[in-house]
Amino acid sequence: MDSFTCSDCGFSTNDATSYSQEFLCPRCGGTMEESSSPLERTPVNRDLPLNAGSVGRPGPQRIRTAFIGAGSEYFRIWIINLFLTIITLGIYGAWAKVRNRKYLYANTLIAAQPFDYLADPLAILKGNLIIAAGFIIYLLTQAYNPVYTGAVVILFYLVLPFLVYKSLRFLAHNSSFRNIRFHFYGTLSQSYKIYVLIPLLIPFTLGLITPYWAYRRKKYFFENMAFGTTPATFSGRAGFFYKVYAKALLLILAVVFGAGIFAAVLIPAAHKAFIAGQQFSPGIGFITSMVLIYLFMILGGTLIQQYIHARLTNYCWNESRIGQVKFRSSLKARNLFWIQFTNILAMIFSLGLLIPWAKIRKSRYVFDNMMVIATRGFDEFTAETEPEITALGDSATDFFDLEIGL
Amino acid sequence: MNKRDKARNKFQGISPENPCPSQQTQIPLEFSGTYFDGMSSRAHPVTIVFDGEFLNIHADKTTPVITVSLDECVFKEPLGITRRSISLPDGALCETYDGCAVEALERLKGANKGMNIVHILESNWITVAAGIAGLVLFIWGFTVYAIPYLAEKAAYSMPVELTDSINDKTLDMLDDRFVAPSELSEEKAAAIHALFLNITNEDTGFDYRLELRKGHTLGANAFALPAGTIVITDELVELAQNDREIAGVIVHELAHVRMRHGLRSIFQNAGVFLLVSVLAGDVTSITSTAATFPTFIIESGYSRDFERQADAAAGAYCIREGWTTKPYEDILMHLSENSQGKSGPSWLSSHPDIQERIRLIQELDNKPSQTGDNPGNIDRH
Repeated sequence: MDSFTCSDCGFSTNDATSYSQEFLCPRCGGTMEESSSPLERTPVNRDLPLNAGSVGRPGPQRIRTAFIGAGSEYFRIWIINLFLTIITLGIYGAWAKVRNRKYLYANTLIAAQPFDYLADPLAILKGNLIIAAGFIIYLLTQAYNPVYTGAVVILFYLVLPFLVYKSLRFLAHNSSFRNIRFHFYGTLSQSYKIYVLIPLLIPFTLGLITPYWAYRRKKYFFENMAFGTTPATFSGRAGFFYKVYAKALLLILAVVFGAGIFAAVLIPAAHKAFIAGQQFSPGIGFITSMVLIYLFMILGGTLIQQYIHARLTNYCWNESRIGQVKFRSSLKARNLFWIQFTNILAMIFSLGLLIPWAKIRKSRYVFDNMMVIATRGFDEFTAETEPEITALGDSATDFFDLEIGL
Repeated sequence: MNKRDKARNKFQGISPENPCPSQQTQIPLEFSGTYFDGMSSRAHPVTIVFDGEFLNIHADKTTPVITVSLDECVFKEPLGITRRSISLPDGALCETYDGCAVEALERLKGANKGMNIVHILESNWITVAAGIAGLVLFIWGFTVYAIPYLAEKAAYSMPVELTDSINDKTLDMLDDRFVAPSELSEEKAAAIHALFLNITNEDTGFDYRLELRKGHTLGANAFALPAGTIVITDELVELAQNDREIAGVIVHELAHVRMRHGLRSIFQNAGVFLLVSVLAGDVTSITSTAATFPTFIIESGYSRDFERQADAAAGAYCIREGWTTKPYEDILMHLSENSQGKSGPSWLSSHPDIQERIRLIQELDNKPSQTGDNPGNIDRH
């Protein structure tokens, strides 16, 4: 039997009978080639229970990753699940979340094999309920006495490292590739060191420790991941983070300076318009200048955020490996900025309806620029057993919108 | 349809435009897939043959066939036109792109009925359009009716001790951070206290108290605290041309107290926050900036409603006293002129459109029949 492999996403099949002509990749629409391609998955004539090892050709293979989700399809899934979440007053939210994430995972491919998200919605529902209770307590104390609100906030920061730790474990445990789960081996004490101790030092070091803090957070994620029984290694250094943050600081200064000039010109102008002409409703000039300044801040903020994100993401992936598998990420700050900025505008002007399209668009860019380098294919990883993990951390970090890890 | 979609549909055969050919399950049913044993990451291309009771998984002719009964298989729910997964005993897994075959097996087993309904809803543009309409309707109903209604219920069921405590804590906070003791002359202060007593005379619903303070950065300003304390700044007293104008402001603030606007806005804002976070909850960092915008718009809409209700109460009071609404309109104009060119919080900041407010108050003069005693009944639309 012949085997065919897609030159774009690496999808391969041995069933070519119905595609005698115009054989396009069924997953991404790329051109299918006969299996002499270096992207070849596994030789077809292979004994099933035999020991693994002898894969295709020797030497490192560069394998492209692909994201093949379709905006229109994801839009339908997203809308229906949002609708069900709203009419069940948020209860179905746990199922909706699993379904959304499953879709994104199932369309992320390495050498034609998709990822899978295995979380149990009931576990997420439990986490959501606990978080909702915590939020109600926060609101009540806020209304009752601001002193207690402070206590609740401090309590939250003390629980945060636990939530981050739990969330990373939950996320890793419920992500799988080729029916092998990921694992997170970071410890709770590391998490407390990174999310409580180091931030406490920031004021005393005049913020100079901030890049180091970012470094430790990334390191916590990348160093402690494992695919099955194979741990990841991370060789990144803090020095690079300092370089990126120094450049970002220059960008921030430029943006703040620009916003200052902008505001200095706009607000007096708006006031003048108000005083001079009564044909203006007094609000209009003010609102217009607020909107313009708001836009400028989004623009500048997104630029800096995406610059840091692109540089650090590339660096961290490039310095990581899992067994013999290495990664090459080549995100460009200016492309990411453009995607993110237009995404935000699209989401605002579509009243949120383009959120799924925006997500698909960004994922496509990220995975189009990711390459996996494997010397001996993906067949040699083995699974490890781990007890079920509760979802408290997972929903907490989503709810409070924390940026962790990736 | 673009190239990508076309290719996907051709292969799957289960998209809404291109459903599976037959509802009848053909036996034996044969399809190809990939097998993972659950111990190693190795992918085994396999052919699966279902004989009516068992799934027989063949790798090639030389290796033994793995046989699993249909009862032991767990079909993972369908999702878009992504590959289907079948969980086998001992952690093994079969993946296939032959959606029709899995659909047939599922039908036979009666599995995933609930999620198949969700899947059908997701696959069809008509149900998706209905979902959008439903969402819009629900969000509208929720923000216009449900949140204000629930917040009102919650505000009225707050125990007195709690409102007292909020009242005192807020006054302490104002004293600590923003205001200083009043510098008004004793006669002036006494006159305003007398005016206040006169207005609150017949009303025993709350423990009304008047506090005079020097506003400093807050300028000409007045606040209503939930248990009935009204704070008026010296600057506002000085701005007023006569007692009638101050009376109008007092009635406005008392209306906030009586209708529990303070507590209601706390609960309403919490409701909006919850709604927006459920709606945007799935997307994290991208929307965090954008999501503040609708929140802001909805919340300022609520506070406009409250201002309108309090204005109506103040206007009605002025008319009852036989002054027409003029004194109240005057004080609004003074405040508006006074706040120009100043930054910082103003008594008017929750409602910058002063012309519109004055127009609405003037309408009250023309409709004396609507000046009932209960300002809570005034329509907020």
